[in-house]
Amino acid sequence: MGMMASKTQAAKPKVGFYGFTGCAGDLLAILHCENELLDIFNAVDVRSFLMASSEVHDDEELDISFLEGSITTDHQLESLADIRKRSKILVAIGSCACFGGPQAARLGYGDWKERFKKVYGAVKHTVAKPFESHPVDEYVKVDYHIPGCPIDRYQFFFALTRLAQGMSVELTTFPVCSECKWNENECLLLNAQLCLGPVTAGGCDSRCPSHNLPCIGCWGPAAEANVASEIDLLKERNFSSEEIVSKLRLFGGAAMVRRFADLLGIKAEEPARKPRPKKVREPIVAGKAKKRASTKKPKAKSRTKKR
Amino acid sequence: MKALKLKKEDLYTYLESLKSYGELWGPVSRGEHYSYAKLANVRDVALQALRTIIPPKKFFVPPRFNMFRYSQGTYSETFEDVRPRVLFGIHPCDIHGLMILDELFLDRFPDPYYKKRREATAILGLSCIPDDKCMARSTNTHAVEGGFDLAFNELGEKYLVWVGSSLGDDLVRLNIDLFSEEIETSDVQKYLEWRRKRDSRYKLNFDLTGMPDIMELSWDSPLWDELADRCLSCGSCSMVCPTCNCYNIRDVSDLSFTSGVRQRRWDSCMNKEYALVAGGHNFREARAERLKLYYTHKLKAFITEYGKPSCVGCGRCIDTCPVSINVAEVIRGLKGQEVKL
Repeated sequence: MGMMASKTQAAKPKVGFYGFTGCAGDLLAILHCENELLDIFNAVDVRSFLMASSEVHDDEELDISFLEGSITTDHQLESLADIRKRSKILVAIGSCACFGGPQAARLGYGDWKERFKKVYGAVKHTVAKPFESHPVDEYVKVDYHIPGCPIDRYQFFFALTRLAQGMSVELTTFPVCSECKWNENECLLLNAQLCLGPVTAGGCDSRCPSHNLPCIGCWGPAAEANVASEIDLLKERNFSSEEIVSKLRLFGGAAMVRRFADLLGIKAEEPARKPRPKKVREPIVAGKAKKRASTKKPKAKSRTKKR
Repeated sequence: MKALKLKKEDLYTYLESLKSYGELWGPVSRGEHYSYAKLANVRDVALQALRTIIPPKKFFVPPRFNMFRYSQGTYSETFEDVRPRVLFGIHPCDIHGLMILDELFLDRFPDPYYKKRREATAILGLSCIPDDKCMARSTNTHAVEGGFDLAFNELGEKYLVWVGSSLGDDLVRLNIDLFSEEIETSDVQKYLEWRRKRDSRYKLNFDLTGMPDIMELSWDSPLWDELADRCLSCGSCSMVCPTCNCYNIRDVSDLSFTSGVRQRRWDSCMNKEYALVAGGHNFREARAERLKLYYTHKLKAFITEYGKPSCVGCGRCIDTCPVSINVAEVIRGLKGQEVKL
């Protein structure tokens, strides 16, 4: 520490970690890196990470922001717009932020209000106004998606080191099966198990199949998932359509529903996109982004905590 | 090449003595399948194993390994798993697979990572009787005339052992008292009988003569689209193929940003990103194009360049693909027969 450290301090990328609707497992996965935690905090200048420190600076420009969780209230939508505005690069971490998570599993099944009522009864919303759970890229431009439930620490380190050095990030896009073979596992599909390996993005090191558990698709759809063939295959293995579809929806969330709506037996236009906040200009950022970047943003509120 | 005899009951004793040369690896049982593993106990070796999930290529081009560690201005190569090894129980088709990899990795542009591992490893072949997924006779890879240090041929109560290299000769000398040089007329008879038996057991017999011509004519065949509808693009076929050897390279930086490792990981032409180039163009965006490439390589391009297919008939793709796309079905389809998917 001392002189040298403060000299390099200026060059360190400013980073923020934020959590929306989810179990906080992704932020926890980062905090659980006991052996690397000091290295992470040395490598970048963490300006906001509420789970790690109550000292947050939420009125500053950020080089990179990492967002966990899906968007499901108007308050979250405001914070999201604010974070997007302040961040050069925005990264969705974990399957909730990337695809909507299990809370988006029923997307397109009838009206959201009805479903809400069924679970919570007739409650009054006093704190925030809730709505259908959506992935982050439904509302703002997302530069990178790091899937997982939770994320894999090494994939996170890989992304962090790349972004902090101004490079792009190429994560695994091929299905779990390849890694499953690297680990020399017997194919569970050939054992008549309901395994979603072929339609699920790899990068998890085929963790579940390596323990003889079928893949449940928690890393979301692979780049080129052949869902139709997977469904046919599972039907041949005597699984029912309902069983297959509910498995595909559980973690595939909005991404699975939107990409394969016709296969999942719902109309593609049914998953309504709501709510629609006022349009504002997007900051222009470099990097890969999903095509579906939306330009909606409510008035941003600064949420700085002064010590 | 010279032939010796070894009593079957002496095999385990001999395998144990091989450990003085290096690590002893062989096929062991893993659920319904087999896998090459280090033999702490020589009796764990699965002599009945026909095909392992992953072929012996994993010893020479591991699924993922670090090529070197770098830090500012310097780098040092890491040959973490290069040490003397004996691989026992390699069947003829897999020995042919290794010989194909040798042509690619040792010939014009030697790959140091492959070469070092290969040089430190002794190959001990083992005969086998095919099952209904073997098609090595069609690819002419059902017998070996080289590519091994020792080759064991089971004949009832004994093994005929061929010595294929000077290293093989040294390995015999590790326990020379177990071997006999007395080859009798009855042994020759038995061996010829055994060969006839092996050859009669192949259920998959294809005439691959002129396959490149058929492939050329089938360039626009609807077969590729039919297969692509079913293909999961999961890459398993490439991973288990003894001759598939594509890899990708990436640098993984430490959190200090000043050092890291360069990693090599298996890749597959079945992956969508495989033929994606800078600027965003993808030469083989359609799944059908990628399937076609895979089989064109096995049954046409390789034959044109090396005079033999790059399929060694091991049957692993038949064993592995969840949707039954494999080299046998593709050959059937190309020859105008019905394809059972």
